[in-house]
Amino acid sequence: MTATQPVTRTLVLGIDTGGTYTDGVLLDYHTREVIASCKSLTTRHDYAEGIGKVIEGIQIDNPAEVKMVSISTTLATNAIAEGKGARVALLLIGYDKELAEAFQLHQRFGTSQYAFFAGGHTLFGEEKEPLDLEGILDYVHRIKDSVDALAVSAYFSPMNPEHELRAFEAISRICDLPIVLGHQLSTKLGSVERATTAALNASLLGMLRDFVIAVRRAMEARHIHAPLMVVRGDGTLMSEEFAARTPVETIHSGPAASAMGGRFLSRVDTALVVDVGGTTTDIALIEDGRVQVSEEGATVGSYKTCVHAANILSIALGGDSHIHIGRDQKWTIGPARVVPLAYLASQYPTVKRRIAPLLQKGWGQIDLDQLEFWFLQREPHPGMFEKGSREAEVVALLREGPMCVTDIVRRLKLIHAGQIGAAELWRQEIIGRAGLTPTDFMHLNGVYRTWDVEMSEIAAALFCRNLGMDVKTFHNLLWQRIDEIITEVILSFLTGRQLAAPDPLHDVDIGRWFFRNSIQTAHPHLETTLRLKVPIIGIGAPAKIFLERVADIFHTELILPPYYWVANAVGAVAGSVMVSEEALVYARLSEDQSEVVGYYVQTSESRTYYESLEEALGFARERVRTLAWEGAVRAGAHSPQVALEESEDGLDTYRIRARAMGTPRLA
Amino acid sequence: MELERIDTQKAYNLIKEKIITLQLKPGAPVDEDALCAEVGLTPTAVREALKWLSHDHLVDITPRHGIRVAEANPAELRELFEMRLPLETLCARMAAERATADDIVVMDALVREYERVKGAGNVDILLDLDHRFHSALADAAHNRYMRETLERFFGLSERLWYLASPQTEWVLNALDRHAELVQAIKARDAERAAGLMHQHVLDFQALVEKALGLTT
Repeated sequence: MTATQPVTRTLVLGIDTGGTYTDGVLLDYHTREVIASCKSLTTRHDYAEGIGKVIEGIQIDNPAEVKMVSISTTLATNAIAEGKGARVALLLIGYDKELAEAFQLHQRFGTSQYAFFAGGHTLFGEEKEPLDLEGILDYVHRIKDSVDALAVSAYFSPMNPEHELRAFEAISRICDLPIVLGHQLSTKLGSVERATTAALNASLLGMLRDFVIAVRRAMEARHIHAPLMVVRGDGTLMSEEFAARTPVETIHSGPAASAMGGRFLSRVDTALVVDVGGTTTDIALIEDGRVQVSEEGATVGSYKTCVHAANILSIALGGDSHIHIGRDQKWTIGPARVVPLAYLASQYPTVKRRIAPLLQKGWGQIDLDQLEFWFLQREPHPGMFEKGSREAEVVALLREGPMCVTDIVRRLKLIHAGQIGAAELWRQEIIGRAGLTPTDFMHLNGVYRTWDVEMSEIAAALFCRNLGMDVKTFHNLLWQRIDEIITEVILSFLTGRQLAAPDPLHDVDIGRWFFRNSIQTAHPHLETTLRLKVPIIGIGAPAKIFLERVADIFHTELILPPYYWVANAVGAVAGSVMVSEEALVYARLSEDQSEVVGYYVQTSESRTYYESLEEALGFARERVRTLAWEGAVRAGAHSPQVALEESEDGLDTYRIRARAMGTPRLA
Repeated sequence: MELERIDTQKAYNLIKEKIITLQLKPGAPVDEDALCAEVGLTPTAVREALKWLSHDHLVDITPRHGIRVAEANPAELRELFEMRLPLETLCARMAAERATADDIVVMDALVREYERVKGAGNVDILLDLDHRFHSALADAAHNRYMRETLERFFGLSERLWYLASPQTEWVLNALDRHAELVQAIKARDAERAAGLMHQHVLDFQALVEKALGLTT
């Protein structure tokens, strides 16, 4: 027998679906060594497609060594922001219809299909009025064929979920639609937020379930038989079953995962994490190893939810932000994302051949539409666009290869690019756009050499000639602008305040002066400086060049951990498995409501009554601790630790929260 | 999430539908490969689904004859009705004694929905409502063994509906009885509920036997 034992490794596969790219890393969990990585374009029309490509493309020698796969996904956040969720009917029990209408609350419900029914409980868990089950069932019968899911939220259901549960029982006997109950998602008392959260959750159920199944199939195809986890909005992990039931919890999971990845790789527990991606730059704070969570609940688009999610600030600035001339004839960067010209040229030689001759032309003869190329990203489904429609014409043109906007306008016999009308084609990712980006400028100064350097040089030269500036001067201005934007956003993130808009005619605002003087001292005698007391951890491929000077401005250290360019995907596996359970302990009043006669304990499974507060609290602590621990073990946590948090909600009401956390069990 | 279970469930639903609606004829041999192609699922999922269906007595798996759709011959019918008649009668009696207010609201809602859609005469919708009503009644009996046992019979009974090539008015006649049943249950009149259900099942049996030419 040989003496050498095979080295046992514990490999985990982390996947992050960002706005631009889907990244995958194969990581040795214990040494934190990245063994392989893979990048593919994010496919918004079907996220599973890009993930499938990453799972297919990443080098895995022995699939049996992979002990866990975990994904962070922007699926939920984007579906909500773009209003692409499934059709949901929201049933509001015991809500005040007049009040809701007076305050226009319906705009916040997350669905336009909703109805009010009698019922609900009081702050003391007593029935406010009898439940109108008849009305509920008739309503469901009427609408069941025009929706995909139902959400039910009853007034003060966290105190007493009886009406939600009775509605659930009855509805599930008359139809097969999935039903989401408010009290199962949040014990917070904000009735509108709970209704919104339930409605959004219902609208995402089918989507997340299909997504998880698609990832599972991709894993199967590569013979990976391991637990699948999904990252929550606070960076912790949940099992796939849990994710399929509570998709709203994945809100902000991408930025949260990045922050966790930065911490995991740098082994620094308190820092500002800045993730520079292709489309956005996201900022989050980690404190004592945990992502800072916004206590009041995450907001997505115009919807306020009660989801515990990372406190993040995201701006539309990244390596692939479009550098172009705005309406005011000044150059701007973003917010649109385009494919860098250097990349497009490396894929299609015709692009450079079209642009290079322009270098012969003089100032004023260059139309900058010539620097924006459109290209066919995927074929539309047959019949998607009518024959002879503008969309069909554009697609037919682009089958010849990428084409600059000037040529498209000419070929379609139009006058102006605004007439093309191809928004639907972009939205569905049938065509893509390429243009000048910071990534191109990174090719210029040698930070990147990945794609066509010459193309970047030509495009930059043309752009600058049009501005009447030499490339070097513009280059400096560009990075200065980027530094300013990121500095401003970090300040806003940390202070919750915004810089007043600049007033060029009457520039007396001291805030803005402080800001500018702190970036570059202009005053002869007065120096102001910013000093961030925690380091900045940079993540994402462009992080070094985007953040080096920003760290200087803040007089702090920039930490670029090993593999910082894929830390987002590392973050998908870096979190702990977490399950939380809450109990509410609240007073029971005497018949005449004059005195407290005992206490109820409402947990996720039952309501029990105690005569003394001590007993009630004791039972609540014991119960949530056990429930959380059991839940975490079921979800795949290794010897979870349980932490209890208690708070008083006023009116003799106590909230007890148990969080059971453990590293993933990797067997 | 176990893919196998998801696929099996899907295959089960699709094949069950085919058997109940007689796209797969009683007694016909089951071609597994053809079935895989038809439902677009893996052989493992289809095989597992067929096992589930054999539990429901909708498929027979025997070593000698391989896999066949269960027969629906006179002997089978007799056996089925011999059990359904006393069980459903008992179920109605228990429901009258034990139904909660919410149980009654559900049954009422199903009856109202029936009144609403009966004019359109869509047999599939009507059969679905019939199935849901009988399930709701079984729930109201508050005995899980009763619920489980009857649920298995419902699949078999539904197939009989299709075998008797349902004419809308038969279905309507049968469903008209439901309203009376709910009245009896509301009145807590166990005798009357049991009697109504007894007659309801006998009527159905007679209908099926006549349609299949079994009555003399």
